[in-house]
Amino acid sequence: MSEYKDISPPELVKDRGSLHPINHMKDSIMNLLISFGFEIINGPEIETEEFNFDMLNIKKSHPARQMHDTFYIENKSNLLRTHTSPIQVRGMLDKKPPLAFISGGKVYRKDDDATHLPMFHQVEGIYVDENVNFAQLKELIYKIIYSLFGNKVELRFRPSYFPFTEPSAEVDILSEEGKWLEILGCGLVNPVVLENCNIDSNKYSGLAFGLGIERIAMLKHGVTDIREFYKSNLDFLSQFK
Amino acid sequence: MKIAYSHLIQHIEENPSVSELSKSLFQLGHEHEIDGNILDMEFTPNRGDCLSINGLLRDLAAFYTVELNHEKYTKEIDSLSLDFVNLSDGICPKISFLKLEVDQIPEVYHDFLDNYFLDLGVNKNNFFTDVSNYLSYETGQPTHCYDAKKIGSKFVFHEIESDEEFETLHGKKVTLTGKNAVFSMNNKVVNLAGVVGGKSTSCSAGTKTVMIECAFFQPEAIIGKSVKYDIQSDASHKFERGVDPGCHDNVLRRFINIVNKHTNIVDMSIISYNYKDNPAHQIPSNVKKINQIIGINLSEAEYMGYITKLGFVIKGGLITVPSFRSDIKTQNDLAEEVARLIGYDNISRLDINIPKSDKKNYKNIETKLKYFLLDQGFYEVINSPFVNFSSEEAIKVDNPLDSNRKFLRTNLTNSLLDNLIFNEKRQKDSIKLFEIADIYSSDGAIQKERKLCLIASGRIGLNYEDFSKKINLKYLSNLFYQILPNEDFDFKLLSRDSLDTKIKNEIISLEINIDQFSNDILAYQEISSPPKSFNKYSPISDLPSSFKDISYSVKDLSNMKDLQDLLLGYKGDIVKNIYVFDYFNNKRTQEIKIGFRFIFQSKKITLTAAEIDVVYNEIVHLSLGIKGVTIPGM
Repeated sequence: MSEYKDISPPELVKDRGSLHPINHMKDSIMNLLISFGFEIINGPEIETEEFNFDMLNIKKSHPARQMHDTFYIENKSNLLRTHTSPIQVRGMLDKKPPLAFISGGKVYRKDDDATHLPMFHQVEGIYVDENVNFAQLKELIYKIIYSLFGNKVELRFRPSYFPFTEPSAEVDILSEEGKWLEILGCGLVNPVVLENCNIDSNKYSGLAFGLGIERIAMLKHGVTDIREFYKSNLDFLSQFK
Repeated sequence: MKIAYSHLIQHIEENPSVSELSKSLFQLGHEHEIDGNILDMEFTPNRGDCLSINGLLRDLAAFYTVELNHEKYTKEIDSLSLDFVNLSDGICPKISFLKLEVDQIPEVYHDFLDNYFLDLGVNKNNFFTDVSNYLSYETGQPTHCYDAKKIGSKFVFHEIESDEEFETLHGKKVTLTGKNAVFSMNNKVVNLAGVVGGKSTSCSAGTKTVMIECAFFQPEAIIGKSVKYDIQSDASHKFERGVDPGCHDNVLRRFINIVNKHTNIVDMSIISYNYKDNPAHQIPSNVKKINQIIGINLSEAEYMGYITKLGFVIKGGLITVPSFRSDIKTQNDLAEEVARLIGYDNISRLDINIPKSDKKNYKNIETKLKYFLLDQGFYEVINSPFVNFSSEEAIKVDNPLDSNRKFLRTNLTNSLLDNLIFNEKRQKDSIKLFEIADIYSSDGAIQKERKLCLIASGRIGLNYEDFSKKINLKYLSNLFYQILPNEDFDFKLLSRDSLDTKIKNEIISLEINIDQFSNDILAYQEISSPPKSFNKYSPISDLPSSFKDISYSVKDLSNMKDLQDLLLGYKGDIVKNIYVFDYFNNKRTQEIKIGFRFIFQSKKITLTAAEIDVVYNEIVHLSLGIKGVTIPGM
C-alpha cells in the first residue's frame, strides 16, 4: 500500500439549470437591439381587434382575421395577439417621435404542425423619426443579421407584403448548405399606421422589423422540429447551458 | 399557382433561361419553386393581378420586352336581352354576360389550348368550361359558363342571409349559412358567387349554347367562403385577392376568339352592367418623396422610366394607376414599385444612428429570480396556455384547436406537474423546473397576473453529497430563506393520488405573483451566466434508459485520479451519463469507497440487459486494471 496522502475528493458537480433556449434567444436579440438604442416596451397577450388589426391597417377582409387563423376569446370580444405589433401601436400612442421600441413575447396563431405551433415568440422593433428611409432599414437589418450569424453570411432582401409596412421586405440568409432561409420581415411603417397612431406622416417616417424567435433558435441550435422546444424534456433543455 | 415557363417565354423577346427568369421573379418579389417547365408561384396576397400569364408578364415587362398581343374578336356584338337583376351592386359593381351558340362541339383543341391542360396536368371538362379555365390562366379573370338553355327568367344576383341548400357543379351538397353572395333563379341558388357554380345550370359535354358570366366581386364578400364550405377553386383564389374591374370586354372578346378558332359561332350577344363609375386612381408624381422614402437619388426621367414599364401613365404631374393594380394607392406604394425594379439588393445602405435610450432596460427582479433558480439547478420551461379546463374564471377560446385546448390556463402548477411526470417517465430522478408567464382570467373583466411557478421532486442533485437527499418542503424553504429571509413563501406538497405514477418522491411546488417579490432579490449574486454561444443540439433518444452502479474500494490512493479519469472520461455509444454518486474517505483504514452511476441509453434501440453488460464488463475490466482498485463482492 502506498503511503497515505490527504487526497482531494472528486469534483462536487452541482448541476446548474438553464434558461429556456427560446427565452435565451429572445433576450440575446433584445440585448443586441438595446445596444443599438432601442428601448423595451411590453404589452398584453390578450388584445382587441382594434390594436391587433385595425390600427395596423389589416382590413376586415384580411384572411388573418378569419376564425381559422386567429384565436378569438369570450365571444369574439377579444383575441390572442397574432403578433407583437400591437405593443408598438400602444407605444406610439403613448410617446412622441423620435421613438425606438422593441417588444418581444408570445404570439398565437391557429396552426399546429411540425413547423407551426399555436404559440410562438416574436421580437419586433420600430424606429420613427424624421427622414427614416429604406436604405437605413437595410443598414440596420445587416447589423442585426451580422451580429446573429457573423459578418460573412450572405443575405438578400425580397419584396414582400405586410399591411403595416410599405415598402415591405423579407430577408433571407444563405445557409452553409447553399439554401436561402427566411429570417425576418421588415419595411417602412405604412403612413396609414403612423396616422392611426396620431403621428404626422408628412413629418415622420419609420422603419419596423420582426423576427420569429423559434426560427432563429432552430437555425442557431440545429433543432429541426419546432415541437422539441415545448416538450419540457430535461434531456433537451440541459443541452442549452 | 402553377405557371409553365414555356407559356411565359413565348411572349418574351429576350428568351431568358429558366434560371434568369427565376432571378428576375425573385427581384420582383415573386417567390417560386421550379419543377422542370413548371414555376410554382407563391404571390403575396396584395398581388392578385399576377395570378395569370398576362399578369406575370406585365410585371416582367420591367426587365424584358414583353408582347401581350393575344388575338381577340373585334367586331360589333349584338345586345343580349336578359331578365337579370342585381340587388347587391355594392358587392358586384360590374358584371357582363356573353351568350354564344355554336353549331358543333369541337373534338380537337388547338395546341395552345391543349398545351395548357397537358403542361399543367389540368383535367379537361367540357369545351366551354375548358376555354373558361384556360382564359382564367391567361388573363386572370375567372368566368363562369352556364348552359344557356337552363337559364330562365328572374335571374338575380344578391347577398342572402337565409340558410339555403346548394349543389355545386361537382356534385357537392352544402348548406349555405350566414351571409352569402349568390346568383339565384326562381328563388333557388344556382351559383355561389366567386366560388363555384351550381349543378342545376352547369354546362355538359353536349352544351352548344352557353352564357358566360364575367364579374367583379368585392373581395370582402368572397373571402372565407371557400374555407367555410371546403370548396377550393381557382375563381375564389382570384376573387379573394381582387381581379381587374376593367378587363371584361377584352376577356369576353378573347373568349369569342378562342371559340371561333375551334368551331362555328352561329349566334352571339353581350350585355354589360356597370353600376358604379370606377375612375382610375391617380397619385401626384413626386420623385423627391420617392427618393426620401427609399434613400436614393433618382432623376425625374429615371423615375418615369421605371414606373411606365409597369403600365403606369404619367400626365400633367399625375400618375394614373392601371385598373389591374388595385394595391397601389400611395407614394409609399409607388416607392416599393421603384425599389423592386431597382432591386432591393441594389439599393445602397445608409448609416443609421438611433438616439440611445436613457431608460434602463432589463436587469430586474424577474431576471435575478431566474438566475437564482438556475444556480439551484432549476430548468426553465415554457408551456402552452391552452388547457381542457382549469377554473370558473378561465377564459374560453371561441375557436379552439380541439376540445382539449378550449380554455386558457389559470395556473402554471398544472402545466409544470405534467412536465414533471413526463420527465419521471423518462427515468429522471432529480427534477427541478420553473416557468414565468402571464396568466389571464376573467371575472367579467380580463385580469392579468405575471407569475413564477416552480416544481421539484426527487434527488436534490446528482453528486455524492446530494444523491441520497430528497427534495422536500424544508429543502426549498431553506433555499429561499438564504436569499430572502424576510419573505414568506407558500410552498405546497402536491398529492400524487391522482397521478399516473408509481414514484413516491414528494412533489413540492410554489406559484407566486412576481410582484410579491421585494427588491431584496436584486442583491443576489448569481453564479450562472447566460451561455456565450448557441450550442449545437444533439438529437435526443425517446427510448428508455437504464443505469448500473459500480462501487469501488481504492486502497492505492495514488491511483484515485486514474480511476476517475478513466470512468468519468469513458465514451461509448450507449453511455449517456456517468457521475460519482457516493464517496467516502476512511482515513482510519486509508481506504476510499467511491461509487459511479452509469446511465445507458441508445438512440436506435431499446437496450437489452446483455447489450448493457457488454459495455459494463468492459468498464469493469478496464477499471480493475488499475492497481489497488477492487470492486467489493466481485
